[in-house]
Amino acid sequence: MQHLDHDRLVFLALGESEADHGETDHLGGCVTCRRELDSLRHVAGLGAGTQGLHDLPDPPAHLWAGIMAELDAVAQVPSLAEAHRQDLDPAPTQALPAAARNGVEPTYRQPSAVTGDPHPSAGTGDRKPATVSGDRPESRRRSSSPGGGRAARPAGRSRRWPRWATTVVSATAAAAIAVFGTVLVLGDRGAAPQQDVLASAPLAAYGSTPKDARGDARVFADGRLHLHVANLPDVTGYYEVWLINPTTMEMFSVGVLRGSSGDALLPLPPNVDLQAYSVVDVSAEQYDNKPAHSGDSLLRGTLTG
Amino acid sequence: MTAVGTAGHEPEPPPDELAARFRAGDETALREAYDRFGRAVLHLATSTLANRSDAEDVTQATFVAAWLGRETFDPAKGSLIGWLLGIGRRKVIDRLRASAREARVVETVRQLPEPVGTGADPDTVVDRLVVADELARLPDDQRRMLELAFYDDLTHQQIATVTGVPLGTVKSHIRRGMASLKRRWEVDGAAPGPRPAGISGAR
Repeated sequence: MQHLDHDRLVFLALGESEADHGETDHLGGCVTCRRELDSLRHVAGLGAGTQGLHDLPDPPAHLWAGIMAELDAVAQVPSLAEAHRQDLDPAPTQALPAAARNGVEPTYRQPSAVTGDPHPSAGTGDRKPATVSGDRPESRRRSSSPGGGRAARPAGRSRRWPRWATTVVSATAAAAIAVFGTVLVLGDRGAAPQQDVLASAPLAAYGSTPKDARGDARVFADGRLHLHVANLPDVTGYYEVWLINPTTMEMFSVGVLRGSSGDALLPLPPNVDLQAYSVVDVSAEQYDNKPAHSGDSLLRGTLTG
Repeated sequence: MTAVGTAGHEPEPPPDELAARFRAGDETALREAYDRFGRAVLHLATSTLANRSDAEDVTQATFVAAWLGRETFDPAKGSLIGWLLGIGRRKVIDRLRASAREARVVETVRQLPEPVGTGADPDTVVDRLVVADELARLPDDQRRMLELAFYDDLTHQQIATVTGVPLGTVKSHIRRGMASLKRRWEVDGAAPGPRPAGISGAR
């Protein structure tokens, strides 16, 4: 059987002409040509829908900062298999060297920890601070010549993030802002001890809550819920944190937050079933002698992990 | 400047080289991938999720998951952007489902269910982004003629007139360009369905 000419199929797919009788007959009987035509038509439709996709807006700077912060949190727990570690450092760990926080000249806090070994010691007693610094001289040279010199350093799987974050993003001014954003984000989290994270949830503004309100929830292996919130709207009463079971719609209160932005560590009941109570909810409550949820949710997110 | 395929002014390494470095764990590759494809992933999320902060969360989670799972990326099976969009698509769908579950909580806690999605189909958005990326990679002549056909709805003959290029050459550019777009869609597209391998003997 003589298939239709491919140019002809493209013509038909682009809607330039109608199939003549002979072509219609062939398409009626030839699955191969019909499918090809259908595919080309679909692709032509997709092609027509690409207008405007070549000039998409840049993501906001805080998005890259968020990626860095999350990867940094992961790097602090090199292996979840180490989760049995019990001797967790109760003291809040300084997340950043002061110099890095000032955005001046990042320096290593513990040079020996970051120069040679691409696999930072995991699970040992000496927890290392999360450094956002680490711009080695050769790294700085590399960043000044984009695309070059990347072979200078072998890739290490469990190397910590921020060390290269400054390296890479110092290439452009916009990126430098992102680094600063990272520093700020990590600085905010300085209040949280480094812990194994069993589950986490990004919290998003809920309902009519202003969209810049957001937060993160993490459940630590020691049974505490770490909440980081930002830009909660002012309320006349107070903020209360809930865990909700979306299946049964049962819920219980975990505690209260002291401010519209910041961090809180709240103990969870030791036997709580996080698979069931998977929704983290922050509500606005009144001093009204009604201990139940007010129905006014500000933030919400679902724990995964 | 194209948002999907390129970052802009600087000369770029070939995409395969970036993909290989990404997979190998070269840390600079994550930033480069984000610079080049972050807009596309964010577009996927914002056009499918109603809530802007949900969309940003999904974008963030996509890049985090991609980096942590980079060893599962097989450059032989598709492009880096196709893989990233595939992760983003799954996260969008997860988020839509989670929102639907939370909406049931809403019924007890508050009587105002929130719109879950914006209606855009994640698969179609992914497919468009993949095709847009391929379009941006085509040789200039092919891209120009396809854009005239797609966006301005010009016929081959009209394109030949507008561009001053002989009709036969226009046909050839459009045929090759369409074949590249189709191949790319078959490799990296999201929509399920029959993927004919092409017709033998008809080209």
